[in-house]
Amino acid sequence: MKISLNWLNDYIDLKDISVSEIVDKLTYAGLEVEEVLDQAKQFEKIVVGFVKEAKKHPNADKLSVCTVSDGTQDYNVVCGAPNVAAGQKVAFAKVGAVIPNGEMKLEKAKIRGEVSFGMICSERELGISENHEGIIVLNPSLKEGMPISDALEMNDVILEVAITPNRADALSHIGVARDLSALFDRDIKLPKVEFSESKKKSEELATVEIIDAINCPRYVGKVVSNVEIKESPDWLKKRLKSIGLRPINNVVDVTNFVLYEVGQPLHAFDLDNLNGKKIVVRQAGNDKKFTTLDSKERELDQKDLMICDGAKPVAIAGVMGGENSEVMSSTKNILIESAFFNPSSIRRTAKHLGLSTDASFRFERGTDLGITKWAARRASQLIQETAGGEIASGEIDAYPNPVDKKKTSLRFSRINKILGYDISAKEVKRILIRLGFEILGDDSQKTIQEKLLPRFDIGYKGKDFIDVVIPPSRHDIEREIDLIEEVARIYGYNKIPEINKMGVTLEQKVDHSAFDGNVRNMLNSLGFYEIITNSFLSESIAEKFGKPINVLNPQSSELSHLRPSLLPGMLTTISNNLKVNEHDLKLFEIGKVFEKITEKNISSFDDFRESECLLVCLTGNELRTDWFAQDRVFDVYDLKGFVESFLNKLMCNSAFTVSYPTADDSHLETIFNFLIGNQVLGYGGKVKKEACMLFDVDQEVFVFEMDLATLKQIAVPERTFHDLLKYPKVYRDFAFVLDISIDSHSIIEVIKSVSSNLLHNIKLFDIFQSESLGKGKKSLAFQLEYYHENRTLTEEEVDKEFRNAIKAVEQKLNGKLRGS
Amino acid sequence: MLKKIGETRKSFDEDLSKANDFATLEELRIKYLGRKGLVSQLFDSLKDVPKEEKRIVGQALNELKMHTQSKFDELKIKFDKEKVSSESYIDLSLPGRTREIGSKHILIQTLDEIKEIFKGWGFSVYEGPELESDYYNFGALNFPADHPARDMQDTFFVSEDFLLRTHTSPVQIRLMEQKKPPIRALMPGKVFRNEAISAKSYCLFHQVEGLVVDTDITFAELKGTLVAFVKQFYGKDVPYRFRASFFPFTEPSAEMDVWWQPKGKEGRWLEILGCGMVDPNVLTNVGIDSEKYVGYAFGMGIERTAMRKYGIDDIRILFDNDKRFLTQF
Repeated sequence: MKISLNWLNDYIDLKDISVSEIVDKLTYAGLEVEEVLDQAKQFEKIVVGFVKEAKKHPNADKLSVCTVSDGTQDYNVVCGAPNVAAGQKVAFAKVGAVIPNGEMKLEKAKIRGEVSFGMICSERELGISENHEGIIVLNPSLKEGMPISDALEMNDVILEVAITPNRADALSHIGVARDLSALFDRDIKLPKVEFSESKKKSEELATVEIIDAINCPRYVGKVVSNVEIKESPDWLKKRLKSIGLRPINNVVDVTNFVLYEVGQPLHAFDLDNLNGKKIVVRQAGNDKKFTTLDSKERELDQKDLMICDGAKPVAIAGVMGGENSEVMSSTKNILIESAFFNPSSIRRTAKHLGLSTDASFRFERGTDLGITKWAARRASQLIQETAGGEIASGEIDAYPNPVDKKKTSLRFSRINKILGYDISAKEVKRILIRLGFEILGDDSQKTIQEKLLPRFDIGYKGKDFIDVVIPPSRHDIEREIDLIEEVARIYGYNKIPEINKMGVTLEQKVDHSAFDGNVRNMLNSLGFYEIITNSFLSESIAEKFGKPINVLNPQSSELSHLRPSLLPGMLTTISNNLKVNEHDLKLFEIGKVFEKITEKNISSFDDFRESECLLVCLTGNELRTDWFAQDRVFDVYDLKGFVESFLNKLMCNSAFTVSYPTADDSHLETIFNFLIGNQVLGYGGKVKKEACMLFDVDQEVFVFEMDLATLKQIAVPERTFHDLLKYPKVYRDFAFVLDISIDSHSIIEVIKSVSSNLLHNIKLFDIFQSESLGKGKKSLAFQLEYYHENRTLTEEEVDKEFRNAIKAVEQKLNGKLRGS
Repeated sequence: MLKKIGETRKSFDEDLSKANDFATLEELRIKYLGRKGLVSQLFDSLKDVPKEEKRIVGQALNELKMHTQSKFDELKIKFDKEKVSSESYIDLSLPGRTREIGSKHILIQTLDEIKEIFKGWGFSVYEGPELESDYYNFGALNFPADHPARDMQDTFFVSEDFLLRTHTSPVQIRLMEQKKPPIRALMPGKVFRNEAISAKSYCLFHQVEGLVVDTDITFAELKGTLVAFVKQFYGKDVPYRFRASFFPFTEPSAEMDVWWQPKGKEGRWLEILGCGMVDPNVLTNVGIDSEKYVGYAFGMGIERTAMRKYGIDDIRILFDNDKRFLTQF
């Protein structure tokens, strides 16, 4: 919200306080000033000049050569305006000034042989109007040298203040002034609302009936007759323009002015267009459509609160008026509406209409129930001042169920308990009173001035608490803690000392993220980089990878579904990297994936599955040609090797098994599973070409996916020390020629099946195919490792074991021992 | 005899200085150090030396033996080295066989750094779900239904009651439902906001939430903890300030700014976190006596913190996962 400092000064005198101090104090107190616009800045080095002399330019008919004084010095200035003359007070831009219109920086210039030290400006050059007929001739009483910003009263400072949703009370100049009054301990001056009223009573000229009193607790109406709709006076236009509003006409401008003055949204109806001179406040019901004053037809909900006349709706309550009762240039008689509407009703209506106005913004945050009458009277006064007419006496005040002000207690000891710091009772009271709270039982509260007299400083001895009445503008305050916040923010958070009291925890430390950290470290040490991808996917992609959950209000159709798998994000990442010629990638991602379990809408945590997954990926080359290496692309054995290394370390070498499911996964081929017991830890393989092509990835991609929650749950065996082997290991090697279709795994199983527990390891160390072996044959060479933990093995027992192994491979797998 | 020893030593030194290859060196070895070499011969004649001189002569002989042997070894090693370097030259300027070491994502690294600081102060680390119910994300955190406070956080909904969490604060509720005070917890995670993707904002980001609840917790302690954090994380002399603010789940609420001075640019205050004293309604919602217990909470965005720290000016690069970016950290 824009706040004009000049305007603010109508209610609180801050002229002696620097802008930066005001900005800081407001910001610290929670009214964050996001931007400061200083109007005078654009007029730097432009002052009131006195034209002492104006002669014709010797070399140019249309130019004059002037002597201009800024009060301390005379300057030679060449001027092209026809109306320049000696004796005038003018807007004189000195060398170094930046002309606001066009942002040209003035330098000393020679114009047709005459040196010019500056420029005499027109209104257009100053950016204050389009007038460029001639230079501005200022009031002769202005002093030379005075900044032109002051002379033109273009010296306002505009603050852009961010108001948090709890502070509806601060959405006006008086609202902001109230915080400043507490911050600088200065009085608020409210404008005097005085005017003469005609004999006719408002109540006789119009009536108000509230049907929905829940959503409209109070409706104040006041009539002004025989007004003349015209342009607003300069002062009013200036105020509105300074905060970025466009003046419309005097009556509309007055309602806007009062809105920004005190925060009460008003509406002015053309009374002659109100059927039966009557206002009825009710829900839309059967009225389905309504044309607002921006000429748009709106679809109504039956619960929308409407302002109606004797026959039809004339405004959407608290949101926008109707075209049918708008104030026009021909309007003579006006009904001013100053009401309080239920915030959630207005919010609902504004939301479903997709229409947020200055009025709805305030009503949905809560306006001041106590200010409605004052605002109606203030508007009447200003309408009379700007549009003439007669103000009907009294107000129509429909207020069926008057609401009491809220009260609460505040214990001084509780302030200390929460803040860890003592603020004196005197200071606490001063802050609350300045903010408009009443302190009960305090007979010092007759007027603000009186309340702050020193003689009242000694009250409340022996009493630890005060009872406080909350002003109706403060919807955010109900409880003691809310008052403590008020005291603390005005006192200043930065004045509360910092205490360092790092506690000692007498319980076991928990770190739910430690396991993931461990996984990350291991993958890093294997050379994998971590990636983080978007959790949203397009529907077409998401549906190919699982049963995705869709977002009701997605940002775009490209990001409409939650990922059911990490694979699409990985393939997108590969695709992006290929585009920048990064072909060799070892990546992983840890993240949540989501799958819908129910066919219905999600209404409980059982309707979907959220699981934490790990996806490891290899693509491109393992090695590029180097002085020590040949090109080699990643293959499935690289993937398997990395996963085995990773799992070995992560699971403390506890035995896991690998299975080779024949079932076809939709996105992977050459699949393998890793298991502990019957529990599948994860699966891996080569991503099918169809899946890669969805992402324009045209190289082989190998991935391994694990459910980290499963992995976490499988208890890593407690680590215990094993004695180091004291006896020698014995090795035996053999090579077999076998059918190409026999897996190494089945050979190992056969060997194991006939071996005793002396055999500890079987290592495949060579594999080859050649013509000499015969077609469809391959050679596999193994090393068998034997030892006993408690004794040295004899040659005989190892040979026996070894012979059994050879025999088994020969008989069961039809292997032919090589070299025999 | 002593004279002879002296002469042998002198002639050895002369021959040694002339030896310039393995062949002459071998000749020298045979001549002096061989089994029948001059040194051995001298030892053999020791038996003829009169008894009273034996000790002195023996000593001189030993010295000769040590001298000749060590001088010979020295030269042999020198020749060996020359031989090796001339026949198999090691070009140490060749690049080594490097292995690539991966790294955690820079956001995770930043998060780890933050966690490390708070873990040192006795904070435990908890996590919670990303797809949350309206109750945990809003209701339990004192966001009234139909209140503009909900607009502060543009929310992605998946159904009427379920949404993608807009902050890590629901983990506070989940934790306090399970565990009673004293609580010292840090809760990192991914959060989602329906904001258009641009250089400044993304539809998701990471947050870390802190929660401390005990009988004697104060705003002054909240300030002390966060100031200590800021000094450890950003540096001892970083200027900071607290501003009043509004969050439905804290009262009083504050935001903390630190001064950011980018190189060659105008400095400015940068909001780094929101914080405050846990609202009594929140404690009541999880069944904790709000008169007896007081708590504080804070939450900060990781992206913004990392971007500030590493001079990154476009948030999108964090989620592009370009290898040229990944390998920088």
